[in-house]
Amino acid sequence: MTRTCRPNCIVPPLLLEKLLRSDKTEVHQAALDTLLTTAGLRGERAVRASFAGTATPGNGRRTVFDCQNGRSLPVSALARSEDGPASTDDSVNRAFDGLGTTHDFYHEVFNRNSIDDRGMRLDGYVHFSAKYNNAFWDGQQMVFGDGDGEVFTDFTGSLDVIAHELTHGVTENTAGLAYHDQSGALNESISDVFGSLVKQWFRKESADTADWLIGPEVFTPGIDADALRSMKAPGQAYDNALFGKDPQPDHMSRFVHLPDTERGDNGGVHINSGIPNKAFYLTATGIGGFAWEAAGLIWYEALKASTAETQFQDFADTTYQKAEALYGAGSAEQLAVLAAWQEVGIQITGVPAGVARTRSRAGNRNGSTGRQDGLTALAKQIGILTTQVTSLAKDVAALKGKK
Amino acid sequence: MTLETHGGQAAAINLRLPPKVLDTDTLPEDASAELARLVAGAVPEPAAERPDRARDAMSYTITVEDGGRSTVLTQSDTTMSPAFASLLSWLENHFAQQ
Repeated sequence: MTRTCRPNCIVPPLLLEKLLRSDKTEVHQAALDTLLTTAGLRGERAVRASFAGTATPGNGRRTVFDCQNGRSLPVSALARSEDGPASTDDSVNRAFDGLGTTHDFYHEVFNRNSIDDRGMRLDGYVHFSAKYNNAFWDGQQMVFGDGDGEVFTDFTGSLDVIAHELTHGVTENTAGLAYHDQSGALNESISDVFGSLVKQWFRKESADTADWLIGPEVFTPGIDADALRSMKAPGQAYDNALFGKDPQPDHMSRFVHLPDTERGDNGGVHINSGIPNKAFYLTATGIGGFAWEAAGLIWYEALKASTAETQFQDFADTTYQKAEALYGAGSAEQLAVLAAWQEVGIQITGVPAGVARTRSRAGNRNGSTGRQDGLTALAKQIGILTTQVTSLAKDVAALKGKK
Repeated sequence: MTLETHGGQAAAINLRLPPKVLDTDTLPEDASAELARLVAGAVPEPAAERPDRARDAMSYTITVEDGGRSTVLTQSDTTMSPAFASLLSWLENHFAQQ
């Protein structure tokens, strides 16, 4: 039995054998449990290995290809591999570095093994088509355009755009949010959230110093626009004569109803993402510190607990539940989540509006002094209420005395 | 002929932009003949299905108005036929030179 126990067992096999022979029931049982668990894990690894062909193994190894301004990915030329030298082409190197930074973020912050959590290799394609004003995720790999040079420039220049696209792969491998209407807008928002977090993590920026912009680098210098989208101020990323005002809403009362067609942006997935984007920004700044730590973790856990048809309300409720599970009921983190969704017009299910307002005010007070223990905040609230009740009791007693 | 672009990272911007319009009567004879050949090649192509797993890919709608008859062709970055790609490329080159 112990001969098959591999070196990655935490308890050495010989010691386990000794423990199994122990006269003490608890020790014997613990050793037996360990061996059974190890055998189970071994089985799981063996099953995974048998699916090697479909599990896209590769330890997140990166490869960048050059489309040479064509539209066909299969005929693209290899431009840089994980073990190869840097390219003389800046677009190739930027794509390569962006893929690596995004991979490292997910690994170090969420212990996620690449896009599919099974080491999926990361392939990027640069110089797609001619003057192509976009970057996209085709379901398996990333594709970047050079921009037309008039309005847009090279999309490899924006780390948050690269991370945005790769996060579509993470979403596909977790919740699988359907790409239309509210679930689609959530899908887009998740990509903006983690796209921005990758950039903040890379720059070591706190929530209050980050720019919260998506794609500030994609416009040419002559274009009067801050970015493609602003998570801090949806609807204010641009306002110019060339393409008008940013149409993103920042509140449910301004939700934009568009047809679920390609012409209607699949029900406005790039439009209404402004609402959950703003909720994340408010949560992160309400909690304070590095946004990828508490706020990011809450959103990541909520994403993993979501499904294809999750709507804004469902996701808001899930973030509230995850904040409680991670940080405790009434914690500063949970109050920040509550206040954030309330500010964009979404009440958490089961929390009456009046209670939500009181709790979120407490949350906002906590937020102004940074991250605090939720229990301390609640204790303060109880203390204030006790003082008020005591004062009222005295007043009542005094009135009775007068009678 | 008109060309509309939908979706992509700049979907919110594309929504606001008017279709690009080409009056084929203004084209030189050889260019007009080439465009007619490209349209004829793209029309029989089956309509592309909406991409399932692609995210932020763009789609394109080319509308041909001819003597009261309208032909609408829509395909996307990830499901585009070579014939449609040739027609799109020709139109994009044309509009870039305007």
